[in-house]
Amino acid sequence: MPRQCKCPKCGAELETPLGCGSCGVLFSPAPSPGPFEVFGLAPAFEVDARALKQRLLKLSRLLHPDYYAAGDDATRATAERNTALLNESYDVLADPVQRADWLVRSLGGPSESEQRGMPKAFLVEVLEWNETLEAARESQPSSPPRAALVQLDATLRAQRDDTLKTLGALLTPLPPRAAPALAEARAQLNALRYLEKTLADIEALSVEQASTR
Amino acid sequence: MGFIELNVLNNNALQLAIGIDLGTTNSLGALWKDGRPIVLHPEGQSGYVPSVIYFPEHGEPLVGREAREHALIDPAHTLFSIKRFMGRGLAEVAADAATVPCPLSETAGGVIEFEMRGRKYTPQQLSALILMNVHNMGCQALGGLETTRVVITVPAYFDDAQRQATRDAARLAGLDVLRIVNEPTAASLAYGLDKKGQGNVAVFDLGGGTFDISVLSIQDGVFQVLSTNGDTHLGGDDFDRCLVEVARRELAASLPKDTLDDPAFLQLLRLGAEKCKIQLSSDPEATMHVSLPESGVQWRRSFTREEFDALTKHLVERTIDSCRRAMSDAKLRMTEIDEVVLVGGSTRTPAVRARVEQFFGRKPHTELNPDEVVALGAAVQAHVLVGGTREILLMDVTPLSLGLETMGGAVAKIIARNSTIPCQATEGFTTYVDNQTGLDFNILQGERELAKDCRSLGKFRLTGIPPMPAGMPKVSVRFHIDANGLLTVTAKEESTGKLARIEVQPMNGLTDAEVEGMLKIAYAHAREDFDARRAADLIIELGTMMRATERGLVHARASLDRETIRDIDDAVKQAHAAIASNDTKQLQTARDEFERATLPLAAVLMDGVAKAALAGKKLDEV
Repeated sequence: MPRQCKCPKCGAELETPLGCGSCGVLFSPAPSPGPFEVFGLAPAFEVDARALKQRLLKLSRLLHPDYYAAGDDATRATAERNTALLNESYDVLADPVQRADWLVRSLGGPSESEQRGMPKAFLVEVLEWNETLEAARESQPSSPPRAALVQLDATLRAQRDDTLKTLGALLTPLPPRAAPALAEARAQLNALRYLEKTLADIEALSVEQASTR
Repeated sequence: MGFIELNVLNNNALQLAIGIDLGTTNSLGALWKDGRPIVLHPEGQSGYVPSVIYFPEHGEPLVGREAREHALIDPAHTLFSIKRFMGRGLAEVAADAATVPCPLSETAGGVIEFEMRGRKYTPQQLSALILMNVHNMGCQALGGLETTRVVITVPAYFDDAQRQATRDAARLAGLDVLRIVNEPTAASLAYGLDKKGQGNVAVFDLGGGTFDISVLSIQDGVFQVLSTNGDTHLGGDDFDRCLVEVARRELAASLPKDTLDDPAFLQLLRLGAEKCKIQLSSDPEATMHVSLPESGVQWRRSFTREEFDALTKHLVERTIDSCRRAMSDAKLRMTEIDEVVLVGGSTRTPAVRARVEQFFGRKPHTELNPDEVVALGAAVQAHVLVGGTREILLMDVTPLSLGLETMGGAVAKIIARNSTIPCQATEGFTTYVDNQTGLDFNILQGERELAKDCRSLGKFRLTGIPPMPAGMPKVSVRFHIDANGLLTVTAKEESTGKLARIEVQPMNGLTDAEVEGMLKIAYAHAREDFDARRAADLIIELGTMMRATERGLVHARASLDRETIRDIDDAVKQAHAAIASNDTKQLQTARDEFERATLPLAAVLMDGVAKAALAGKKLDEV
């Protein structure tokens, strides 16, 4: 939650701990606020993507270094740092996988390196998917193994949507600190990371295929 | 949505900042004035500064139009397309280096040096000469109003080394860079596309030496770049080269190999090819001429547009490959693109236009002059940066992923390509050995998986880690890409809160010390030049004063006392000595002394003149 709600300079309500929209003064809060706090939001898995984007644009208009270019070195550096933090926070909040990862870690759940496991049912399918992808990678464009990628792409997308739903249910409402649900959420996240990586590989392959070189 | 009107010329000089398009072929300055961006050009002259430098036998290098005129007569001492060498090592620019008519070498830091008339110049120094020329022309156009603040554009796909080189060039030119802006983004600002409300725009920018494609989303005055792609070595120069190759093949029978490979001859061919290419944009057929009187060669060759298109098809397809990748990264379908904008002189080529239209499925915008639109956009951004308006906001991206080399030569990505800038990432490091106080890491930019296939931005050495058992120190290194797309790295040891020091040895870049050194040399040269000019002026002035004194003494000697006459004689002697010395300081002293000594003489003379003048006049005429 926002730790400071009023601007110490002009007393206006703060939308972000990084600066005041009313008097234009920039702050350097320490320690660095988390992504939800930067956006003045309470931590939650569900985020309204459209509202988040609007808020990014609004806060950018307040914090962006372009508006402080004529200021002194310290002001320019603060604007740079704060906007970098704003953009970093947006990237975390806008992507459900990164958002969930942040929530799991902030609630004391296992990190990716502490728990590498995926859901068991998932592992069987992974082997099959990997084979399809490898076959496609090693074959000529427009060959049957390449065409099989279209089907794989659809399968993985459906799988991703399902996994996201499961993950959302585990994290809504947010479980208490160090709850067992967090370990389960981490397993789902590991599966999602695999799905996203594979979907990106398929996309890259299809862009390459369309290319002339 | 409109721009806030601000009459900058009536405000104080601090409110001014010039937008500069530092192009491969031409450079141009623009300024926000009376509510819109205008191209800066002195009265009755074009504002274009050809990005060409000529090195005369004596004196300083010539830049721009003058230099371009020398290119045909003396190609051996003319340099083109400097931009393609910015932030690059020799190994990366082999094709371009073949047409450079002078010896090339590399500094210890991997910066290319051109050797002309016994002096070495880095691309940064040469670009500084071009920037100074554009800046001077801008100040002339402003009628003497001065500002050193500038916004400079670079290709969106420029990496960190190329951006650093551009910033260093501006520093060497004595300019204060408010921002480095990406060319396609600047172009979208110039088009004022925000006035249409909301939409997605693709900007296709094919210049003299570089290609960019940027996909933007525009909403309520916010220009948000979704993705960018391109090739910093693909442009009009490469189209010219296709024609040059035909000429070389067909001339192979009649010319010796030495001539065919002679860089000066290649430049001549290039100029002929460029002319032919430009004509093919308006005519279905054009002739390329090459005349070499000393070899008795008069080569004429007709090209049809079809033949030219076939020769350059592979280049056009490379631009389309980039477009495909940019669209994929933007996560947009083709039907979601509302506008396509063409930028850069090379988009005048009909085949390029046709292919872009076919790929995006809509007619591209060409209303604004593709050679001016980038400079105009830079002026809009300059207006924002000096505080002229808050209605416009540019949110640009970093074109390439940033990563660290891991053990085994792989790359660990820390900032993804197309991340909105400014952006940051923090990575944790620790030590492998007890009491280790330093860490080395290699920072890479690029999309490939292996470090050797990415571009190294340099070796970064972290020092000053407090001595502790292995694995104990927790060093957090923060990578920050600023709004200019430039990387800075800072580090902190978490357990002690001590800031560790980062030493950077840039790859193909100048260190701060090197830039300082070049500035000092440039300053010393300027000082020498200034002193020499001042000495010459003082000698002329002293000569005039002595002649006037001599003439004056003829009439006025009788009216002066002995002391004054001795004083004047001493001053004359001192003046002669000073002229013989040619020393500015001594000349200045002699001049001041002469003025003092001859004051009584001047008074007598003035008195006489006044009396003579008054003698024939009535009182009311005085």
